[in-house]
Amino acid sequence: MKRKEGHKRKIGFLFCLMVFLIFLPGCWGKREVEELAPLIGIGIDLGQKPGTYMITQQLAKAKQSGAAVAEIEERTFSVEASSAREAYEEVYRISSRIPFMGSLRVVVLGEDAAKAGIGDILDFTQRYSEFRRSMFLVISKGTAQSLLNLKLRNGQLPAMSIKNHMEQGKNLSTFPTVRLGHYLTVLGTESMAPIIPVVENIKPGGREIEYKDGKEGEEIQIKGAGILRGDQLADFLTDEETKGYMWLENDVKHRLMNTVSTADNISFGGQILKSTTKYKVIGNDGIIGLHYQIKTSVAIDEIMGLRKKLSDTEWVDLMKVAETSFAKEIEKECNLSFRKEKELGLDFLGIGRHIEQKNSKYWKTVKDQWNEKIADFPVSLDIQVTIHHAGMSSSSAMTN
Amino acid sequence: MERISPHQFMTLGAAVLMGTTFLPVASLVTGVSGRDGWMTVLPGFALAIPYGLMALSLLARFPSKNLLQISEILFGKWIGKSIGLLYIIITGYFGALLLGQAGDIYERSIMPLTPIGLFYLGGLFLVFYLVNSGIEVFARFSEVIFPVIVIAMALNLGLSIPRVEQGELLPILSEGLKPLFWGGVKVAPFSMEYILFLGGILTFLPSGRKELGQLKSGVWRAVFLVGILNMLVVLMQILVFGPTETIRMTYGLLVLGKMVEISRTVAGVESLFMGVWFGSLVMKISAFFFMVTWGLTTVFNLKGLKWNLVIAAVFIGVAFGFVRGASLIKEIGLIDDYLILPFTSVWILALWGVSRWKKGVGVQ
Repeated sequence: MKRKEGHKRKIGFLFCLMVFLIFLPGCWGKREVEELAPLIGIGIDLGQKPGTYMITQQLAKAKQSGAAVAEIEERTFSVEASSAREAYEEVYRISSRIPFMGSLRVVVLGEDAAKAGIGDILDFTQRYSEFRRSMFLVISKGTAQSLLNLKLRNGQLPAMSIKNHMEQGKNLSTFPTVRLGHYLTVLGTESMAPIIPVVENIKPGGREIEYKDGKEGEEIQIKGAGILRGDQLADFLTDEETKGYMWLENDVKHRLMNTVSTADNISFGGQILKSTTKYKVIGNDGIIGLHYQIKTSVAIDEIMGLRKKLSDTEWVDLMKVAETSFAKEIEKECNLSFRKEKELGLDFLGIGRHIEQKNSKYWKTVKDQWNEKIADFPVSLDIQVTIHHAGMSSSSAMTN
Repeated sequence: MERISPHQFMTLGAAVLMGTTFLPVASLVTGVSGRDGWMTVLPGFALAIPYGLMALSLLARFPSKNLLQISEILFGKWIGKSIGLLYIIITGYFGALLLGQAGDIYERSIMPLTPIGLFYLGGLFLVFYLVNSGIEVFARFSEVIFPVIVIAMALNLGLSIPRVEQGELLPILSEGLKPLFWGGVKVAPFSMEYILFLGGILTFLPSGRKELGQLKSGVWRAVFLVGILNMLVVLMQILVFGPTETIRMTYGLLVLGKMVEISRTVAGVESLFMGVWFGSLVMKISAFFFMVTWGLTTVFNLKGLKWNLVIAAVFIGVAFGFVRGASLIKEIGLIDDYLILPFTSVWILALWGVSRWKKGVGVQ
């Protein structure tokens, strides 16, 4: 009798299981790939009406060309709206597909919008679960809309191109690769000012770079950075100041560098193989300061102005000259960065955080007046460059 | 009478202790202890060791009896029954809240358009099946699922290493030791939830001398395993997000899961992690369901499928009753801090103390 009851119970469970199997995987909220419009980039500018934003969304759509390699067709929309959600609603109506935020790689902040403050408009990217904090943030010189509407010569979507630049950033180490998560972490510290790289398009002939003008499209580059006071853009860093920031932030992985000519009219070009920046809080006569120590290993790839053959001893001496030259270049970049920090009174170098980490007791005494203290806070540098090698040849091809 | 082995006791205990503690723990401890919050996790969980050993010492004196039965023996029938009633109310209500949390987690993170009732029904179905199959099946289920949870967690944490920010853990102990105490207090209710479960499961544990030794080591092994894992979860969140962001996040580990990328090709694996977390939710809710059934059996002698259906109805009713996620999370915190922690810590201590005293004076 008991066995029969147990059997019945099992059948009952199996029945329930089948019922749930029918209903549970019912895919509420299921969205087929064909119904989605993957969002690759967002541009944020100020709208014409007060309190509105011009939100540009760059969507990717697979080209139906039948080619073996997947091709992407551009669909870029700009909508004036008072919130990000409202803008997505508009785009949804136009595109007839659901904008999918999980694929978002880049948020481009227009200069004016960044100056007005980005805290509110970025809230959606932190709150809505489809977004990932690993998306990149960049500031555009000019409007984000015009940047995302550029036609690039390589045929890529501007958002994809920026993403590729950012992912390759470590190989050049000339600008910080800032993700949303990093920006929010810095924003959460008491003293640091967030920094976001700047992207701009290069007009042909306007700079050192020349390329064929015409219908083929334009080029973009990431150079320099913007410094924020809270969520508002305060100022820009030049390329050299940004490079200084990279040294001081221990963010240089590889770097291509050139030195200016020495007294013998020789200059060097090389590649940074490895670099480490350490810092310590020092106290001299009761004055607390921050001391940076940068240790860099360089491989020389190019020597300009060498006109004679050198003996082994002379070659070793020349390498020592090269070390000094590279150290001077690094020092120059770092000093430019220090100068900017003091001028602005914004701690984008995170000196306050370094002090807090190393000497929290002292930090507690200065943290409330930190913005005023930055201007005359003592910092010092010790740069040690080691020339690892000078490539596949030594000396000069010329005879004396 | 069903019995579970010391090894099953260890994995089951670890699974119940773990539950979904890894989701809110970082925000909780960082909120009160700042960037040193990770240090408070292991000591907070370690509180379960003395309490667990007290419960096991009572098992040695009263074999095959749970703590509710022992309460009746030591405190008298009516005090014992009152404690039992409180035990049923707390475990029943808290288990139902956890079922509600299952819906909240999934709706918030990966399936916003799926009706929340489906998570309740799906979860409760699994829970109901486990409870009706008995403690042995539940223990075997935990032996299979718990290692998967640990592996998923290790992967989630390991793959988050590239996102670590420099120096977020420093300075260490800049605010002194005092904030650490409050962090420990925030973790302590998790330990007490485990002790509540231990109080009921004693009936199914062997009480031989050798097995008691194994059970004792099972307690501290489970506590250290779960404590260390949770500590790593907090550590990683502080390292990646910094303390301010860690506090701000509702379920920080889910955000970490969303940031996992492998060689820029594999991303969006958070759904896999979420699937595994569902296993831990089911185990935790099942544990509380079991506790209610043990309470009803001990106090009112109510048992069987009919009463299990009543409990299931209560669980689903409470879960559906919370339509606001924020209220649900607040309620879970309140029950943890103001009911589970004081009730369990005082009850077990009193039970153990009275037992020792009565043994000393030769009453029992």
